[in-house]
Amino acid sequence: MTKYEKGALAAVAAMVVAAGFIFLYAPTDALQGPVQRIFYLHVSSAIAAYGCFAVVLIGGIAYLWKENAVADRLARAGALVGVVFTTVTLVMGMIWAKPIWGTYWTWDARLTSTLVLWIIYAGYLMIRRLADPGRQAARFAAVVGIFGFADVLVVHFSVTWWRTQHPGPVVINDALPPQMLVAFFVTLACTLFLAAVMVAIRYRIEVLMDQAVEKSVPAPVVAPTEAGSAR
Amino acid sequence: MRSLAVALAVARKDLTSEWRTRELVPALAQFVVLALVIANFGFQIDSRNAPAIAPGVLWMALVFAGLVAFGRAFAAEREQSSLEAMLMTPASPAAIFAGKALAAALLLVLCEAVLLPALALFFSVPLSLEVVSAVLLATVGMAVLGCLFAAMVARVRARELLLPLLTLPLWIPFIVFGGQAVQVAMGGGGGTGNASGLLIDLDILFVVLTSLVARFVLDD
Amino acid sequence: MSVIVAASLTQRFGSEIGLDGVDLDVDAGEHLAVLGDNGAGKTTLLRILATAARPTSGRIEIFGLNATIERRRLRGVIGFVAHAPGLYPALSAAENLEFYCTLQGVDRGRVAEVLELVGLEELAGRPADKLSRGAQQRLAIGRAVLHDPKLLVLDEPDASLDSGGADLLARVMRGRTAVIATHDHALANRLCQRTLMLRRGRVVGVPTRLRVVH
Repeated sequence: MTKYEKGALAAVAAMVVAAGFIFLYAPTDALQGPVQRIFYLHVSSAIAAYGCFAVVLIGGIAYLWKENAVADRLARAGALVGVVFTTVTLVMGMIWAKPIWGTYWTWDARLTSTLVLWIIYAGYLMIRRLADPGRQAARFAAVVGIFGFADVLVVHFSVTWWRTQHPGPVVINDALPPQMLVAFFVTLACTLFLAAVMVAIRYRIEVLMDQAVEKSVPAPVVAPTEAGSAR
Repeated sequence: MRSLAVALAVARKDLTSEWRTRELVPALAQFVVLALVIANFGFQIDSRNAPAIAPGVLWMALVFAGLVAFGRAFAAEREQSSLEAMLMTPASPAAIFAGKALAAALLLVLCEAVLLPALALFFSVPLSLEVVSAVLLATVGMAVLGCLFAAMVARVRARELLLPLLTLPLWIPFIVFGGQAVQVAMGGGGGTGNASGLLIDLDILFVVLTSLVARFVLDD
Repeated sequence: MSVIVAASLTQRFGSEIGLDGVDLDVDAGEHLAVLGDNGAGKTTLLRILATAARPTSGRIEIFGLNATIERRRLRGVIGFVAHAPGLYPALSAAENLEFYCTLQGVDRGRVAEVLELVGLEELAGRPADKLSRGAQQRLAIGRAVLHDPKLLVLDEPDASLDSGGADLLARVMRGRTAVIATHDHALANRLCQRTLMLRRGRVVGVPTRLRVVH
C-alpha cells in the first residue's frame, strides 16, 4: 500500500472516530434537538476550508516572490480541497438552518461570507483553467488567492457591521458544555487531518500532471505570429 | 517624480482617446437612465419607500456601469498590443496601471454625474454632500479592483463571465458601506456608524494591494 | 563584445513547443537576420530577445545582464517593433510619440527628429487610424528608436512597409545592433551580415555570413 493509500485509510478511520464522538458521546442539545449535531462537522469544515485557503494564500505569495513550482502546486491543491470543504459547510449550514430558523438561507455575516468565499475560490479555479497554462495561470491565480483571502475577512466584517444596522436572526451561541466541547475538538482534529491528507493526495496528483505535460511528445506547432496573446 | 508623470500621461491618453471617439460615456449615460426608468416600473416606487429603495437602485446601476467601464479599460484587442508596447519601456507597471485606473474611474464619475441627478429627479430623493462623497469614495476602490481584474481577464477566454465573478465579491464591502451611507443620507433610516470612514480605509487597503500586484498581472 | 548570448532557449506553450534549444550570439554593431517560414518560431524568438517574453528554459544574457531578471533595465536600451503596431488610433502620430517620450523618459524634442527620420513630418497631426498601413509601420519603427536604443529587434517590419522601406530600415539599423525577422532573403542580404534559419523551433544549417550584395 502506498503512503497515500495509508493516509487515506487513516483519514477515513479518523472520521469514523469523529462520527462516534458526535453521535454517541455528545449529548443531545436541549434547545435544538438532534439537528444540532450537524454543528460539529459544519464548523469543522468551515475551519478546514479557511485553513486550505490560508495554504493558497501562502503558496500564492511564495510563488509571486520566488516563482517556486512547489508553492504553486500546493496552492492548486489547497484551493480544490478548500472549495470542497466550503461546499460541505454551505450545505450543512442550510440543512441546519431550516429546522432552526425556518428558512434555508439568511443573509447573516457568516453565511454571506461563506457564500462569497465559495464564489471567490470558484473564480480562482476558473482563472487557473482559462489562463495560459503555466506561468500566467499560476500568477493570476496567486493574485486572486491573495485578494480572495483578504476579501473574506473584509466581507465578514462589513456584513457584521451591516447587521448591527439591520438585525436579523441570531445564532444560538451558548457556551458549550464540556462533553460537547470535547466532541467538537475531536471532530475538528479529525477533519483537519482529513483535509491535510486530501491536500497531500491532490498535491501528488498535481505533480504527476505537471510531469505528464513535460514528457509529452513535442509536436510541430504554429507559434503565435502576433505580439501579445494570440490564442 | 517619473511614476506620477507616467500615470498622468497614461490617464490623459485614455481620456483623450475617449473624448475623441465618444464611445463609452454616452453609452453608459444612456444605460443608467434606462436602468432608472426600469427600476421605477420594477419596484413600484412611491414617495414613502423611495428613500429606502433608491440607494439599492443607485448601487445596482453603478455596479453594472462599473463592470462595463472597467472592463473596457483593457479589453480592446488593440489595447493588448499597445499594453505590451507600454511595458517595453522603463515605465513602472504600477504607474501604468494607476493611470488606467484613474482614467476609468473618471469616466465612471462622469457617468455618476448623470446618474445622481437623474436619481434625485425621478425618485424625489435628496442629493447631499454625503451621497456624493460616498459614491466618489466607493468609486476609487471599485476602480482599482475592477481594473486589476479587467487587466487579468483581458488575456483570458470567457472574460464576460470571469470579470463579474472575480470582481463582484470584492465590491461587496463597498456596496455595503456605500449603500448604508447613501441610505442614511437619503433619510431611509438605519443606524449611524461611520460608513465614509470605512470606505476610506477600504480604499487605502485596496489601492496599496493593487499597486503591489499590478506588475504581476500586466507583465509576464 | 557580445550583445546577446543565448543558450538552449526553449519555449513551450502548454504541451506545444515553440522554440527547441536555440543557441544564439550577436556581437555589438552586428545585424542578424532570422529567417524561416510562418510558424518556425521567429516571433517567439524575437519576443524573448526583446524581453517581451520569458523562455520556459535556457539562458539569455543581453549586454551582460540576465535578460529574464533585469527586464526593466534592459527595456530602456532595447527597441522593439512587434508584429502588431500597437498604436493609439485616436491620437495623432505626433501625440503617439509624445506619449512614449514620457514613458521612455526622453525629451519631447525627439518627436520632431524621429518624425523626420521615418519620413512622417507631413503626417504628424493625422490620427493614427487614418494613416496607411505603411505609415503606421513607419510610426511604429519611429517609436522603437525614440529612446535611441543600442539594440533593435524588428519582427517582420518589411511586411507592411511601402516603397523606400528598405532604405528606412537601413537608416534606423545603422550604428545599432539589430536582429530582424523576415521572409525576404534579398532584404536580409542587403541589411544584415549574418543569418539564422529556423524551422519548427530549431536552428537549421549553420549561421551564415553573408557578403553584402547590393
